[in-house]
Amino acid sequence: MRILMTTDGSSRSESALRFCAQLASRAGEPLTILTVIEHTRDRPPPQADVILSDACNILGMQDVRTRVRIGRPADEILSEIEEGNYDLVILGKNRAHTWLALFFRGSTVVNVAKHAHIPVMVVRGHVCPILRVMLCDSGGGVTPILSRLTTQLPDLLKGDEEITILHVMSQISAGPGVRGQQLRAGAEELIETHTPEGELLKRDIKVIERPDANLVPKVLHGLVVDEILAEARSGDYDLVVIGAHRGKGWRRFLLDDLAHKIIAYVDRPVLIVR
Amino acid sequence: MTESDHSHRTMSNNAQGYSSTNNLEDSLEDSLVILDKLVLPEVSRPWWERAHLAKISLFISSLYLFVVSITLMKDGARGVAPLVRGLFSVTNVGNCLGFGWLFAYTIMSGSPVAAASLTFFDAGLLDKLGAFAMITGSRLGAGFIVLFIGFIYVLRGRDRATSLSMGVISLTVTITTYLPGFFLGALILRAGWLDVVQLDSGALLRSIIDRLVAPITEPLVNLLPNWAVFLLGLGVILLSFKLFDKCLPQMSIKDSQLGWLSRLVYRPVVMFVLGALVTMISMSVSLSLSILVPLSARGFVRRENVIPYIMGANITTFIDTLLAAVLLNNQPAFTIVYVGMFSISIVSLAILFTVYPRYLRGVLGFVSWVTDTNRNLAIFMAAIFVVPIVLMLI
Repeated sequence: MRILMTTDGSSRSESALRFCAQLASRAGEPLTILTVIEHTRDRPPPQADVILSDACNILGMQDVRTRVRIGRPADEILSEIEEGNYDLVILGKNRAHTWLALFFRGSTVVNVAKHAHIPVMVVRGHVCPILRVMLCDSGGGVTPILSRLTTQLPDLLKGDEEITILHVMSQISAGPGVRGQQLRAGAEELIETHTPEGELLKRDIKVIERPDANLVPKVLHGLVVDEILAEARSGDYDLVVIGAHRGKGWRRFLLDDLAHKIIAYVDRPVLIVR
Repeated sequence: MTESDHSHRTMSNNAQGYSSTNNLEDSLEDSLVILDKLVLPEVSRPWWERAHLAKISLFISSLYLFVVSITLMKDGARGVAPLVRGLFSVTNVGNCLGFGWLFAYTIMSGSPVAAASLTFFDAGLLDKLGAFAMITGSRLGAGFIVLFIGFIYVLRGRDRATSLSMGVISLTVTITTYLPGFFLGALILRAGWLDVVQLDSGALLRSIIDRLVAPITEPLVNLLPNWAVFLLGLGVILLSFKLFDKCLPQMSIKDSQLGWLSRLVYRPVVMFVLGALVTMISMSVSLSLSILVPLSARGFVRRENVIPYIMGANITTFIDTLLAAVLLNNQPAFTIVYVGMFSISIVSLAILFTVYPRYLRGVLGFVSWVTDTNRNLAIFMAAIFVVPIVLMLI
């Protein structure tokens, strides 16, 4: 697993680096640390060296490659991803932007998450060893999210983690004649009655067929983003995994992607798989 | 068993039948059956061949009846003035709001009431603000229809929350956008800010319409008393809407489109525009809500997307009232309807672009409170009847 870790040298990047260290130990390939210098006049290259050497000290690893790029952070990170053949990019909380910059250019994290073709990990909040994982499956993709995760990042999970597969049903009845039992049912009932949501969860569970696998299917009813945020907090998960769509053309403007809302508000590491 | 499994088995059975018989006639018949099962590419036909003549005739008939009804209501409106002023004592803006509201409950439709309010305005029975209030009331009353159908299902023993959710959402969104919209619209009408926006049917169109409807309306106007002409017009307008509903195409969405469409409908502005467009064609909020059902084959829609859709639908549902204003050839009547559409658009867009997440949670929280217990439901139902009655009495 080839990991690209980005840092801007801020104190906020420290927790991201510590989280990265535990993943890098499982990677089996040297970690690459990237820093992007936005303006060469304001922040001359020697400062990049300081940022990178500090990052190496925090990581406490010998086998680390470093990269410095100059330009707009989101563009440069995306270019590095294209050129470097990475499997995962890790971003810490980005530098504070003015609201004007956010309006016209968007945040670095959201831009990278939106356009990168590889999984993106956004690290924020309290960082812990990965023991409890929450996978949010909307059912939108052809492949189950757990399958996408194990295919794209086979070394990420050790196998002893407790994995909750969450599906949020935000549906309400569109007509008075609809029987609404499924609109309140839990995961087990939905699986037993072979509803589309139940089949979705069953499809996810089948991905890991080990008898000792610690998989918990869960269904919540309500607004999708609200339920995911509430569950992430109440379940005290160490990692939240979500899927994201890469819109092209008119679909990019018309189709909503809830991933960026989850990235913006969740208070723990989020992994976006493709 | 999937559909392809089914067709495969059917074809196997037919093939078996073919081999077991030597009779040429039987084998030919079997072959024809097999051929019948094969899906051949559809040959594209020109639009005039694909169009349903029956539906086109229904559409023309409904439009004609709409014009007839507006003419009858216009001619008969003066006849009901003593009834409206005396019996219902509709004298102030509050009375007009309550009257339009209860009138829509009574005939289970908002559009005829909105058209009636314009004919009252045309006859001098109502002033600008009164007509505007009655139109607003008619839409509030129309919002009750979806809830009423759900209530019947509850009485039949169906689940309360499932049956009533859509109706309560629809009515709540209508009330929370139309009431602020009413105050904004009243301000605009008083100040005359949009008085320049006026449209009438024009002399030529008026003359054509007169030639088309006069052979029917004139004998009726000469024969019947004015109040009867008005009531007849009301009946004809209800009939024209019923015919119009029948000529709408069946709206269904193919399964293959559900993937991206389910994501399309997450974005509030897209749903707002979609609701507005669908209702512009269907001219009925309750009818355009039914298009949401095919979005999910199981009749479910998402909480996130239904409110902007209703907001959009609530604006273009005025389109038939706008047409009625044009047919009346009354320019201020057109301004009244236009101001209504404008003010509700402003309120809806302000909600969507500023406080939408809070508004969404507020509406959904209120809906779950209403459908939670019979007591809460009774309070809600009582409120939506008591408020218009109180408005009528003040």
